[in-house]
Amino acid sequence: MVDRRSTEFLAGLLSGGLLVAGLVGLLFVALVVELLFPQSPVSAVIRIVDPSYLGAALRLAVPIAFAALGGIFAEKSGVINIGLEGLLIISAFTSVAVAHALGGAEAGQGAVWMGFLAGVLASVALTLVFAVVTIEFRADQIIAGLAVWLIALGLAPFASRIIWGQINSPSVPTLDSWTVPVLSSIPWIGPVLFDAIPTVYMMLIATPLSWYVLDRTAFGRWVRASGENPKALDTAGVDVDRVRYAAVLLSGLYSGIGGAGLALGQVGQFIGSGQTMVAGRGWIGITAYLFGNYNPIGAFGASFLFAALDALQIRVQQLAFLSLPPPLVRIVPFVTVIVVLALVGRTRIPDAAGEHYESGEE
Amino acid sequence: MSARPLRDRALAWVGRLVDASARERILISVTALFASLLVGGGLVLVAGLMTTCSAGFVLGGDEYVLGPLVVTLPAVEFALAGVGNFCYNPLDVYYHLFVAPFLSCGGGGALLGCEVAWFNFALMLKETTLLLFTGLSVAVAFRAGLFNIGTQGQMVLGALATALVVLAVAPLFPGGLLGAALLVPVGLLAGTVAGGLYGALPGALKAYSDANEVITTIMLNFVASGVAFYLVNNFFQAEGAGSVATRNLPGHAQIRPVLPPFADSTFSLVALLLGLALVAGVYYLLFHTAFGYDLRTSGLQPAAAAYGGVDAERMIVTSMTISGALGGLAGAVYVMMVLGRWRTGLPALGFDGITVSILAGNNPLGVVLAAALFGTMKSGSISISFALGIPRQLVGVLRGLVILFVAMPEFFRMLGVRYDVGEPEHPGGDAGGGEPTEQASEGATATDGGRIDDGRSAGDPARAPDGPGGDRDGR
Repeated sequence: MVDRRSTEFLAGLLSGGLLVAGLVGLLFVALVVELLFPQSPVSAVIRIVDPSYLGAALRLAVPIAFAALGGIFAEKSGVINIGLEGLLIISAFTSVAVAHALGGAEAGQGAVWMGFLAGVLASVALTLVFAVVTIEFRADQIIAGLAVWLIALGLAPFASRIIWGQINSPSVPTLDSWTVPVLSSIPWIGPVLFDAIPTVYMMLIATPLSWYVLDRTAFGRWVRASGENPKALDTAGVDVDRVRYAAVLLSGLYSGIGGAGLALGQVGQFIGSGQTMVAGRGWIGITAYLFGNYNPIGAFGASFLFAALDALQIRVQQLAFLSLPPPLVRIVPFVTVIVVLALVGRTRIPDAAGEHYESGEE
Repeated sequence: MSARPLRDRALAWVGRLVDASARERILISVTALFASLLVGGGLVLVAGLMTTCSAGFVLGGDEYVLGPLVVTLPAVEFALAGVGNFCYNPLDVYYHLFVAPFLSCGGGGALLGCEVAWFNFALMLKETTLLLFTGLSVAVAFRAGLFNIGTQGQMVLGALATALVVLAVAPLFPGGLLGAALLVPVGLLAGTVAGGLYGALPGALKAYSDANEVITTIMLNFVASGVAFYLVNNFFQAEGAGSVATRNLPGHAQIRPVLPPFADSTFSLVALLLGLALVAGVYYLLFHTAFGYDLRTSGLQPAAAAYGGVDAERMIVTSMTISGALGGLAGAVYVMMVLGRWRTGLPALGFDGITVSILAGNNPLGVVLAAALFGTMKSGSISISFALGIPRQLVGVLRGLVILFVAMPEFFRMLGVRYDVGEPEHPGGDAGGGEPTEQASEGATATDGGRIDDGRSAGDPARAPDGPGGDRDGR
C-alpha cells in the first residue's frame, strides 16, 4: 500500500507540475512573441489574457471544477458517477425555478440564494436516487449514470414548459460579486481573485479542502479504501456502503453547487434547448479529473485549462481580423477533451470502482 | 493489479442481461416499462398541479347499463383543497401515448366508434423505422462491450453526407424511377460511410490509446453538430431558408411513401423494410457467423476472445465502425425520407436508440419491439401536446426512467422476495441469481466472471470457456 500511495502521490505531483510547467511555458512563449512581434495576430490573441479574461476563465471553471471534485469522491469510493452532467442540469434548472418563483425578474439576493440552495438540494436528491439504485439495488453504475443524465435532460425542459410555457426560463438576477476591500486593489491578482462571484471563492476553497479531506483525514482514507479494497475496509469494521453513500452524496452536493453556480452565478437564466445550458460541462468535468489523475488540485487545474480555452474562444470571436467561424471555435474545448483523453487514456482507476460490494453478513 | 477498463464493467452488465434467460429479460423490460409509466404518471399529476386550470380532472361519473340495472359510478374530482387542481389525467396521457397513434375514437368510425388514425399511425411508423437503425447501432456496439453514446453524432454527419453527396451527383443521373433507383442507394451509401468513419474514430481512440469511448463519443456528438453547422452555414446554405439548411434534394432522390394511405406522410414502407432487413442481417451476423461469435465473445470475455485469437484492437474498431455505419444510415434515411434536406437541430434519435437497445436487451430482434414501442410513444407525444397541452418532452423523461429501471433488475427481484411473489426464473438450481456471495467466497473482489457464470442456464453459445476469464482478476 505504501509504495502505491507514494507512486500515486508522485503521479499527482507530476501531472500537476506538468500542467503548471505547461502554463508557465505558454506564458513565456507569449511574452517572447509579444515583445518581438507586437503587430502579429498572435500578439492580439495573447493580449486577450488580462485580468478580466482570467476572471472569466475562473467563472467558467466553476461548474466544471465542482463536477470534477464531486466525481473524484464518488469514483474514489468505488462508484463511478457518470451522471454528473445530469446533476448540473437539474441543479441549474431548480435554482432558476425557485429564484424565479420567489422573486421573478426582480428577485432580491435573498431569493437568489434560496434558489441556489434549492438547486443544490435538487442535485443531492437526484444523487440519492442514483446512490440507492447503485449501492442498494446493485444497478450497473454506468447505465444508472446515463439514466440520471437522460432523466435530467428530459425533466428540465419538460418542467420549463410546464412552469413558463417555454423551454427557456425568463431572466432572473444573478449572485452579486463579493469584493474584498484592500486586497481587490492589488494589480492583476486583486480583480481576479478578490472581486469575484461567490461561487469562485467556493471553488477556490473547495479545491484544497477536498484534497485535504481525501488525503489527510480518516474519512478520506475510508473513501480510498472503499474504492481500492472494500473487503479490507469491511474487515476493519467500517461500513463500506455508508462510506460510498457519503462519497456519492458529496458528488451530488458539489455538482449542485456547480450547476446552481452556472445558472445563478453567471447566466441568470435556464436554457433548456438542445443539450441545455450545461452543454457538456459535466462530461468535461469527468475528463478534468481523469486528466488530473483523481487529484483535486490537478482536477481544478484541468478544469481551469478547459475553461480558459472556452473563455478564449469567446474572445477570439471578437477579433475581427481572425474571423474564425464561431461554430468551429466553439468545438475547440470538446476536441481538446478528446485529445487529452487520447493522451492520458491510461489512468489507473480505483480497483473496485464500478463493482458492487456485498459484505459477508446478510 | 491490472487496471480494469470500462469495457470490463460494461461486459459485466451486458453479460448479466444477455445471459439472463429470454423470459427473464422480457420480464425485466416489461416491468421496467410499467415502473417508468407509473413514475411518469406521478410526474404528470405533479405537473398538472403546477398548471392552473378551472377544475381538476374527473374520474368516474359514467353510466353503465347492465341489463335492467343502470349503475352510475361516483364522480371524483382530483384536486387538493388549498393547493390546486390536478389538471392532467395520467390515464388521458397514456391513452394519447399508446392508443392515439393507432386509433382515433369518438367520431363514430367502424371499429367500436373508432377509425384508424392514419396521420398518427404514419408518424408512429416513421419514428419506429428511424429507431430501428439507431437502436441497432447502439446494440451492435453494446454486444461488443462498447457503449456507443455517439450514434447521435454519427447520424448527424451521416445525414449531412447523404444530403451533400446526393445534391452533388443528382445532376449526373436521369430523373424518374431509374434516377431514384440509382440515387437512393448512393445517398444511403454516403450516410453509411460517413457514419462508419465517424464511429471508427472513437473506436480507434479506444483501441489504441484506451480513451474511454463513453466520453469520446459524447464529445464527438458536440463536434459533429458544430462541424455540420459550420459546413452548411458557410458553404451549402440554401438561400431563403429560415434556418441553417441545405437545398432540398430533388424529388426523385427522396424515399417516397408507397402505400396509398400514407401518401401525405413522411413514412415510406421501403425504409421500414430496409430497417427490418438490417435487423435480420445484424441478427444473422451476430449469432450465426464466426465474426459475430468473436464480437460477442469480445464483449463478454475479452480475455477469452484474445485467447481464441481475436485481435482485440481490430475488433473494437470494427464493431464501432459497424455501429457508426448504422447510425449514419439512420441519418441518411432521415434526410431522404423525412426532411428531404439536411437541417440543423436533428431530433435526438441517437439517444432514443440507447433506450431502445437497452430495453431490447441489445438483441436485434428485441430492437424491433422496443423501436415500435418508442415509435408509438413518440407519435403519442405529439398527440399529448396537441390534445392535452402537455409538453412532449415527457417522453424524454420516460426514456431516462426506462433506462434507470432496466438497469436495476435487482430492485424488482428484492421486491419479489420481500412480498413473496418469487418467480421460478432461475432454472438449474441457480437460486443465487446475481448474488455476489459466490464471488465473495472466491476471495477476490467481486468479479465479472462470477456474474457471467450465473447465466450458465441460458446456454448462450457466446459463453466461452471460463478459464481465461478468471485471469482478469489479477491477484
